[in-house]
Amino acid sequence: MTGQVVLVVGAGLAGLGAAVELVRAGQRVTVVDQTQAAGGAIHRQPLPGRPSIARTAEHRRWQSLMAEVRAAGIEIRTETRFGGIDSTGEVLLTGAAPGFLRPKALVLATGAREAVQPRPGWTLPGVMTVGAIQTYLKTQAAPPLGRIALAGSGPLLLAAAAQLCALGRPPVAVIEAGRPFAHPLAALRLPPGYLAEAAAYMRRLVVARVLILTASHVTRISEDAAGLTVEIERGARRRRLACDLVGLHDGIRPNDAGLPDIAPIPVVRLGDCREALGARAALADGRNGGRRLAAQLSGTLAPALSQELQRQRRAQGLLARIYANDGADRLATLPGDTVLCRCEMRTLDDLRALGPAPTDRMLRLDGRFSMGPCQGRFCAEWVQRLAGRSGPARRIGAARYPAAPITVADLLAAQKSREGESP
Amino acid sequence: MTPSPDIDVAIAGAGVIGASTAWHLAQAGLRVAIIDAEGPAAAASGASDGAVSVASKKPGVMARLASASLAHTATLAKGGPLSRAFRRRPSFLFGQGPEEAAALDALAAKLAQIGGPVSVENDGGAALLPGCGMGVDRIVRLMGEGHMPGHKAVHGYLASAGDRVQRIWPARLKGHEADATGVTLDLGMSQLRAGFLIVAAGLGAGELWPQLPLIPRAGQLIVTDSGPAGVLPGALTAAAYLLAKTRDGAPPPRPPVVIDPLSTGQYLVGSTREAHGDPRLNDFATIAALMERAAAVWPPLLGRRIIRIFTGVRAAVADGLPVFGTLPDSPRVLLATGFEGDGICLSALIGREAARIACGDGVTAGLEADLAALSPTRFTKHARWGAA
Repeated sequence: MTGQVVLVVGAGLAGLGAAVELVRAGQRVTVVDQTQAAGGAIHRQPLPGRPSIARTAEHRRWQSLMAEVRAAGIEIRTETRFGGIDSTGEVLLTGAAPGFLRPKALVLATGAREAVQPRPGWTLPGVMTVGAIQTYLKTQAAPPLGRIALAGSGPLLLAAAAQLCALGRPPVAVIEAGRPFAHPLAALRLPPGYLAEAAAYMRRLVVARVLILTASHVTRISEDAAGLTVEIERGARRRRLACDLVGLHDGIRPNDAGLPDIAPIPVVRLGDCREALGARAALADGRNGGRRLAAQLSGTLAPALSQELQRQRRAQGLLARIYANDGADRLATLPGDTVLCRCEMRTLDDLRALGPAPTDRMLRLDGRFSMGPCQGRFCAEWVQRLAGRSGPARRIGAARYPAAPITVADLLAAQKSREGESP
Repeated sequence: MTPSPDIDVAIAGAGVIGASTAWHLAQAGLRVAIIDAEGPAAAASGASDGAVSVASKKPGVMARLASASLAHTATLAKGGPLSRAFRRRPSFLFGQGPEEAAALDALAAKLAQIGGPVSVENDGGAALLPGCGMGVDRIVRLMGEGHMPGHKAVHGYLASAGDRVQRIWPARLKGHEADATGVTLDLGMSQLRAGFLIVAAGLGAGELWPQLPLIPRAGQLIVTDSGPAGVLPGALTAAAYLLAKTRDGAPPPRPPVVIDPLSTGQYLVGSTREAHGDPRLNDFATIAALMERAAAVWPPLLGRRIIRIFTGVRAAVADGLPVFGTLPDSPRVLLATGFEGDGICLSALIGREAARIACGDGVTAGLEADLAALSPTRFTKHARWGAA
């Protein structure tokens, strides 16, 4: 049977919120997720046999949503990747359950990804995203080995630092580009949950005597036999810090690389993959979006947009003010040999060699930016900014599938599943 | 009254044909402007990898022109504008089953007769390409051919011409008025007066001259990640692809496939030839069938990841030959379009000859008859030309 199922991509808060509401409205739903268990980035589950490090309130929210998922009888295919939707409406799935599917509608709830600004040394081994460190903490319930420095900007730095403290390995420093403690009036206007969460994190950091530097930028990371060294700039002052791991994080963005612009069936993007507003908005947006899609599919009146979305948009606006910094303006002052595209190791000098105002085609073909396996997922935003584009362009050229690289073997495995299909 | 020209020659289209023409004109000391709706290599020239291949042409006019263009390309690559774009490499044709093997043997014999820079090797088996799949019955190797990514050629021509070529983009040629002394170009916001106009705008030429039987031909393509380069020393093309292209008749029984090793260590696998012009149309059924066949013929593909799937659109002509020549009622307007997949291969020659015509020199001796076969006059029986 084809054309009967709504396919939901991503088993996090937004995807499962939508799935529950779609089933309630009488739709058949299949959920796929590329990881081993439902949860998404926020509720990433520990590996089998490991305890959960989630805070009680978070844990409760997840348990209650999963109870609804079970009650609704929703099938979640884990370790299954969404490869893309083609212009005929066919979806490619690879991984544990390879094959092709013709859903009646598609819900994309692929969450957020982290932005990491290029800096000299950001491609060295031992340098990763703060989110990757968090994934390690949540799945292993143990800290990675070595001295850890966290740098960049945003509330995630404090959250990850507090988790490291709780697991007994406080970071050697948190290097924040903004001045989050210098905006008490804006902070007081945040919804109550935010401040309580931040206060809990700060308590842990203070107890563990973690060095917190604000208005500070990591200008270079270098490597020697003893480990990594980060060079830090705070106004006119410079300092160096030795460590073994560096976590970088410069905010979150919708994880929308390779997602389709157009498709012959209804496609909705919910949660962070449309607008990076965080966990609180994701669940509300997922539920609301699921109800609206169900109404669209059955031709009934759609419910109003969620009020929660507006509230979280305001909160994210305040957070942006609280963490405002000049980090992105510093891109243009980076040394010319700084790598922008790590897939093909293309540098700022390579970009400048294209001359002023290069077109997207020139960036791709002559500069080879956005041509490697990540297709610009990580570098396009900075390349576009450095090329003088105004506005938040996060890609170079058209959106194309696959959404992420797929092995030829995986494509052929999906093709094999067609055999024996009735025409 | 006619205004005096701003420039000697205006070229519409900054693809590989337009860029080659611009470079050749600049060499001749003319004042040149190149206009494009988007920018350099924005359409077919940028969406393709280029075989500079005689073997892939229909024997006759096209194969003779390809042979001459290959020779000129090699000259321009010796310290000239194509030095970083063109490189020599062999190419391979494969056949599966006795029927394809026999057809390939016949084709190889015919190609051997063309002579020129290309030599043909056929050992009656598949030993000329170690590593190819079990079901391959025949491999024909062609030495002396070459490879040139379209955007690198465009970049090479324009960079080498430097500021001797005025670049105007994004700007669209909306119309033109030709008279006895030159051409006035309507660029929407502005006008440009040129002594001569060359239109190398691919499908864009069809918007200006609807009477041209230009048809869009879409091709679906797959790009892999990179790996060790040189495992496959040159493009591997299905005999079925060539037979479909060089022989009129029924569509081939298997999806015709070309496996092209790129200089980056990536593979480009293509390509379909579909009768539409929408680059958004792309389907997994076709892509998976292409890749299934490609991996059976060249098993190392099984270790690769697919990073991009896309559709490119080329301009083709109903009768299978490109359009090249001045308009019957406007000797100061020259068309060069409809090269389908052969634009990169023919660009060196076509740019040189277009520049000669614009300079009033006439085409190179020996090429008159073959180039005359491409003239737009073949479509003028009932159509009125002139300004669109």
